[in-house]
Amino acid sequence: MSQSLKPYLTAVRSSLTAAICLEDFSSQLVERHNRPEIEVDNTHNPELILNPMIIARNENEKILIEPSINSVRVSIKIKQADEIEQILVHKFTRFLTSRAENFFILRRIPIKGYDISFLITNFHTEQMLKDKLVDFIIEFMEDVDKEISEMKLFLNARARVIAESYLTPFD
Amino acid sequence: MLQIEPHNLLVQKTLTERIFPDSESLKSIDRIITDFDFTTYHISTFPDEKNLVLISIYLKCYDDLAKYGVVEYLNGKYSKFNEFLTILSGNDIEQGYNYSLVLDTNKIESIDDESKNEVINELALLKRHAIAAPFEQAFTRYDELVQTYANSNTYAEEIQQELQNEKVLVIKYRGLDECIYIKPSFDRVTVIFSTVFQDETDKIFGKVFLQEFVDARKRSVQTAPQVLYSHKEAPLDITNYVQGKKDDENKGYITFVLFPRHLVKGDRRDNCISHIQYFRNYFHYHIKCSKAYMHSRMRFRVKEFLKILNRAKPENVDDEGKAIENRKTASGRRFEVGRV
Repeated sequence: MSQSLKPYLTAVRSSLTAAICLEDFSSQLVERHNRPEIEVDNTHNPELILNPMIIARNENEKILIEPSINSVRVSIKIKQADEIEQILVHKFTRFLTSRAENFFILRRIPIKGYDISFLITNFHTEQMLKDKLVDFIIEFMEDVDKEISEMKLFLNARARVIAESYLTPFD
Repeated sequence: MLQIEPHNLLVQKTLTERIFPDSESLKSIDRIITDFDFTTYHISTFPDEKNLVLISIYLKCYDDLAKYGVVEYLNGKYSKFNEFLTILSGNDIEQGYNYSLVLDTNKIESIDDESKNEVINELALLKRHAIAAPFEQAFTRYDELVQTYANSNTYAEEIQQELQNEKVLVIKYRGLDECIYIKPSFDRVTVIFSTVFQDETDKIFGKVFLQEFVDARKRSVQTAPQVLYSHKEAPLDITNYVQGKKDDENKGYITFVLFPRHLVKGDRRDNCISHIQYFRNYFHYHIKCSKAYMHSRMRFRVKEFLKILNRAKPENVDDEGKAIENRKTASGRRFEVGRV
């Protein structure tokens, strides 16, 4: 793990642990409903929304945490240095979001400006261990970078072999 | 399977089965075989004479090839087998196909196995031979040019001008947008492929691949043809010949410069032709392969992520997400789930 990654992840971990402090809260707009308040449009009581927070490692890598009384929305922007990484990240996040029902906390559509979003509600924290959820997000952030750069390296290596094995038989 | 073989395996197999039959009685065959670049083969027997096998080929770019002497070239390739192989011409060519041959399996019996295999292989290379015709023509023209300019100052302006105006051979082998352009000169032959990428991913993967093609020569295979790549804009040599969509974002041009060492007559020239005409197939095939690999890799990674997420659930589940029932402690006690 590189030097600057560790403090970044540590900051994310402690912020997330603090943010995921959720309680059951019935909707004040519709009777007998329970909605993740962070997803409700701004027609409701502002005291239910807490201050959002951005932790950025650099301009290309950041995380947005938006807490509310019964839900937290976590959006991640994954590093994309060039167009190969862009394509790989795009494919990868699409791959994940199309399997969102298995991932429980994954949001099908990311927030604008970010690559992938998670929505954690109080029901999730009731069923699952909070620390493990935080672990998951941290591990996700670590692995996704690793995976993307590995795929990119692989693509280059493969291209090299392909090019050489095509050009060699000419002689 | 790194390389794409120039012969058609299915044609080869069909003919081998026919020429070396397992049983005495001849069965009738009627097979339509497709190949790269909208090529179709039709192998069938005549209804009343089962010993006669009709082999026909359809190529999308046959009109172009006809201009560059494909019929003569193919006739030259196959006429040496004229004892048992008849080349059809004019109206005898099967409807909907461009070139037909009739193989008499009774007559072929008389020759030895090695020659039989040679016939089979040559027939399986039908598509390669058809596309090779314009290449042969361009290379012959190169031979002429070498002779013409052998003793002249090729840096002189008028000679440069003449070479500039040398005719370009165009093969629209996949329609207007994907063509092969061949331009002979006195010291090289330039082969330019235009290709269209289906989607954004293909385009970017293609760029990575082509960059390596361009660099490969500098790095390890110095004797290879020079490769140049241009995106969207056609190279100057062929701007007048390009048809179809001109400013397509997904279009690319790949130029191969073949030097005299690649054009030495004989095996090397043949090998060069077989190899270069399958460039597009090779290139796109490997783009698809990498995409498939990426896909399987992502699948694996997603599975790993799911395992991590499932760890967050306090139920008794193992790594695959299956519930483990009746888990016991060392002393034999059970965990009671759901009791406060």
